Formats: sequence, structure tokens, C-alpha cells
Amino acid sequence: MWRLKEIVVASGKGGTGKTTVASSLAVYLAKKGVRVFTADADVDAPDLLLALGGGRTLFSIDIKESEKARIDKSKCTACGKCAEVCPFGAIVAQNGGRPVVVELMCEGCGVCRLVCPSDAIEVKRTDTGTLSVQETKYGFGCVTGKLKLGEHNSGNLVASVRNIGRGKAQDAASDVCIVDAAPGIGCPVIASITGADYVIAVTEPTPAAKRNLERLSKVIEHFGVPAGVVINMSGYSKDFETALKDWIVHELGFQFLGEIPVDYEVVKALVQMKPIIELNPDTKASKALAAIAQKVGEIL
Amino acid sequence: MRALRKKKVEVPIVAVTGGKGGTGKTTVAVNLAAGLSAKGLKVMLVDTDVDGPCCATLLGVKLENGDAVKTFKPKINEKRCVGCKKCVDVCHEHALVGLQGKTPRLFEELCSGCKACQLVCEYGAVEEGWKTIGKIYTAETNGLRLVTGELEPTEPRSPVMARATVLRAMSELQNSGYDAAIVDTAPGVHNAVAQPLWVSDFALAVTEPTPLGAHDLKFILDLARELELPAEIVLNKADVPGGLKDELLSISRERGVGIAAEIPLDGELLRSYISGEPLVKNSPNSPAAKALLSLIQHVHKRVKGGET
Repeated sequence: MWRLKEIVVASGKGGTGKTTVASSLAVYLAKKGVRVFTADADVDAPDLLLALGGGRTLFSIDIKESEKARIDKSKCTACGKCAEVCPFGAIVAQNGGRPVVVELMCEGCGVCRLVCPSDAIEVKRTDTGTLSVQETKYGFGCVTGKLKLGEHNSGNLVASVRNIGRGKAQDAASDVCIVDAAPGIGCPVIASITGADYVIAVTEPTPAAKRNLERLSKVIEHFGVPAGVVINMSGYSKDFETALKDWIVHELGFQFLGEIPVDYEVVKALVQMKPIIELNPDTKASKALAAIAQKVGEIL
Repeated sequence: MRALRKKKVEVPIVAVTGGKGGTGKTTVAVNLAAGLSAKGLKVMLVDTDVDGPCCATLLGVKLENGDAVKTFKPKINEKRCVGCKKCVDVCHEHALVGLQGKTPRLFEELCSGCKACQLVCEYGAVEEGWKTIGKIYTAETNGLRLVTGELEPTEPRSPVMARATVLRAMSELQNSGYDAAIVDTAPGVHNAVAQPLWVSDFALAVTEPTPLGAHDLKFILDLARELELPAEIVLNKADVPGGLKDELLSISRERGVGIAAEIPLDGELLRSYISGEPLVKNSPNSPAAKALLSLIQHVHKRVKGGET
């Protein structure tokens, strides 16, 4: 039976090349006749559409999943109880003891409202971010989430991105939705990985990236998603890279999907806003990416 | 906005941030801290990238015996609970689930630790439980104090962990004679980045000359502006072949945000990254080290000149 598969491109460390891998993978599979949809779940810094050369916006909506406390100045007696109990340090007493909500810190838990003796506090729904769907020049769609600056609820927004992505992908009878995740291991990453079919973890051959791959692997394992690893920007140290591959397969128990050598053509591709595989299919990074994409196609 | 910030310490705090991942935030932070320390300043380096902390690795420091960061979670005393469901209704995160007349069940991973449930329970049935969301490690290396926050894998609350790391650093910075603190942030513009920026006096936004670097730089500069935090740009990998340096220079001009340093590509930088020793110590004559040394000089002036 036909079923949409979700592949998440993730990385414990930032800047390892998630978006380069996701964009090239999408274009490669689309050219092979796979019906592709894409989703940018890096809601802080959504760059997937940039890597794909932009797109025509089909629709855009505001997501209002956040909540913030509001103090009614006319009712507030400046007793200071709200500032005392706020677990997030979001209520600060100004000169004269009148409390002010620092929206950036407020998680909307409403504890302040519970202790306020003069009923001066309301918890109101506010913007979390925006969500938009674009049609790319490669014929497939891309859903992008953009978190409001400094917001907390990235997991909620990522869940919305995935829901819309899944819906749109199903409407288009897509075979696969490629999700570009945020760096790290926190809430937006967990929200990206949970219930996905496969994770491609992108790493670099450095001790810092290795350590963060190990942390990401614990999250992937916890949520029981099969995974493979891509080593990007390889070629500095053969010994380190050989040991890293061995560790990925034997210690982490993940598939090794391939390595992409350092190649400044990748920078050119980013600058021209075309996936490297499209701009220059014969360069060494493109060949490596094609081999990886083929492997991922087979796994699916 | 800045007026609301109750800063308890006088020590200048410099945030190293940047929007996009992998632009070189940690490299800049580590070299800056090591360089200022070598100039005789008493420096604390704080790693608030609790998802992907790298400062210790880049300094070749092994972290041991961290202090657990615990947040509240409700422990429901079944004998006292009458099943009134008030705690369930008040829970903002929907972490408590239950039916009228039944003891509610806690979905621990959703709980934010806000204690609203405890406040509304009239029967004293919500007792204090704790869960560990991460650890804070400290270390001394070559006269440099390192404070690192690490989120426990599978825990989602990076902002809470980042805030705990900031608070721990601030408490150590009080009355202990520090000249400066360098705070490395996570990539992005979410709350775990905003937490350290909130307490900082000055920010360096590290970026790279690609459309992605430029795109994300604008976001982090927007966030700094919203926080009324003075910022400057560090242009890393400045001479990468085919790069978009001009676009970054025009962002700098348009926004009136200065360029604090331009760091060229340098194979030595990579070697130092892998070897676990800051470049400014490891090979101070390499092109990137020279750019970093002038950045150190620049920040030294700001920190000592009281301009922050």
C-alpha cells in the first residue's frame, strides 16, 4: 500500500551541511521520478528554500500557539506576588514596585495569574511564528516554518510544519517528504524526529561534531527511528575519518551512507542558490551526494 | 527593554552568537577567551549551546562531575488526591491528564516545572518531585574558567537549561574579581539564544559569506536590536572562493553595525579545531590567528575601556 515516508535530515552540531544534503537529495530523487515534498523544520533559520532558489508562495498563515501574561495596570496593586512566583524570571518589578512582563522570558504558564489577589493578570494567546507553502522550480512543494524572534514554542511550530507538510505531500500523492531539521537535540529536533521513517544525521570529521553526533544518536535511539550518517567535508585526516566510520557503524549501530569531500563548488552552489547536484553534477561533492541519494532511495 | 534587565554583576559580558550554525561561533569564543586570558585578564568562558556544547572539546578539556540541573515535577499523592481535576485544567503544557474522580497521570516530558498544579491543589496532593534536565560542568584550563551547560539527550527544554547555565555563571561572576565573561550561544534566534543575550552587554555575530549566512545574520541582528543589545559582525571564512562578502558588508552598512573582524580561511584553524588547542596559542602567526588577535585587542579595549 502507498504510504508517504518522512526522511529527516538532522545534525547535533550546526553548519555541518544539513541543508546542502536535503536540497540535493530532494532534487536528485525528484529527477529519478520519485514524488518529493520538502519541509523546513529549522524554524529559527529556515534556509532550505534559499538553497532551492526560492519559490512561488501558495499560502502563508500565522501560527498562534504561544501564550503570554498581560498585567492590567488599572487593577495591579504592585504587591509583587507575581514576580515572586514566576518560574521563568519573566516578571520584573520596575521602580515603584510595579511589575512588568518581559515577554521574551514568559512561557505563559499562568502561575502569576493564580497568585494575583486583584485579578489583574490575563494569559493571552500570541504569535509563535508563520508557516508558508511554496512551489519550487523543481516542481515539488516546500513548507517553511519561521519562529518569531526569541520565542519558546519551536516544537509546536515544527509539529505544525510537519502536519501541513504531510497533508500537502499526501494531496500531491508524494512518495517522500524530506524534512530539514534544526541543529541540536532539543525540542524542535525531537518534534522533527518523532514518528519519522528515517533520519539522515550529517556530521563532520572533527571531535566536536563527533561528540554532538553521539548526543543526537541517543535522541534518535530513544524515539526508535532507523538512521544513517553522512560525513560531510571529509579529507582533512584519513585516520580520524576511518576511525569515525568504524565508530558510526559499530558503536552507534547506524548505517554509513557516505562521505562528501571538501569542495568549494558547494559554496558556489549556495551563492547561486542552486543545489550543488544541479549546478555542477560532475564535481566531487555532487558525485558523493548522488551516491548517497541513491543509497537513501534504495533504503526507502 | 534594557531597563528591565536586572543585572546583578558588573563584569562585562560578551556574547558570541550568529544565527546560522557552523559559522565559527565557538572558534571565536574560545580564541577570544584564551586571548584575553593570555593578556592577564581573569576570564570566564560560558558555553550556553546546551544542545551542542563544543567549548570543552575545542579547549581539549575533559568534563567531569557535573552538577545536575533539576526542575520541579509534580508527584501526586494518591491518598490525598480527590480527583477534582483542577491541576489537569490549569496545566498549560497539558502534561497532567486525568478524568474527574481519578488521580491524574503525568507526562513528564511535557512538564515545564511551573508548579501551577501545586498552587491550585486544595488538598496538598501535589508533592514536590524533581527531574534532571541536564548538567553544568566547570573546569579550569590555563587560567581560564569554563562553565558549560549540557542538556540531557531526549530532554526538550533547551531554554530552561540555557537559563540555568547563565544563572550559574552569573552567580560565580558576582564578587570574584573577573574582568570579563565570554558567552558562546547556540545557533538560531530562539529562546535558548535570547537567554544569554539578555544578560550580555555586547554581542559579536559570527557569520559567513553565503546567502544562508547573510539571511540568518539579519535575524540575529534583529533579535539583538529587539533586546537593545549593541552588536558587531565577525566575518568568518571571509575570503572563501565565490563567497558573498559584499552582501555582508552592505548589511553592515545598512544597519550601522560594524565589522569587528574579518577572518580568512586558514588550514591552521582547522588543525587547531581538531587538536583541542586555541589557534592563537597553537599557531599565532597564521593568517586567521592574526585576525583573531586583532579581534582580541578590539574586545580588550571595549572590556577594559568601560565602553560596554
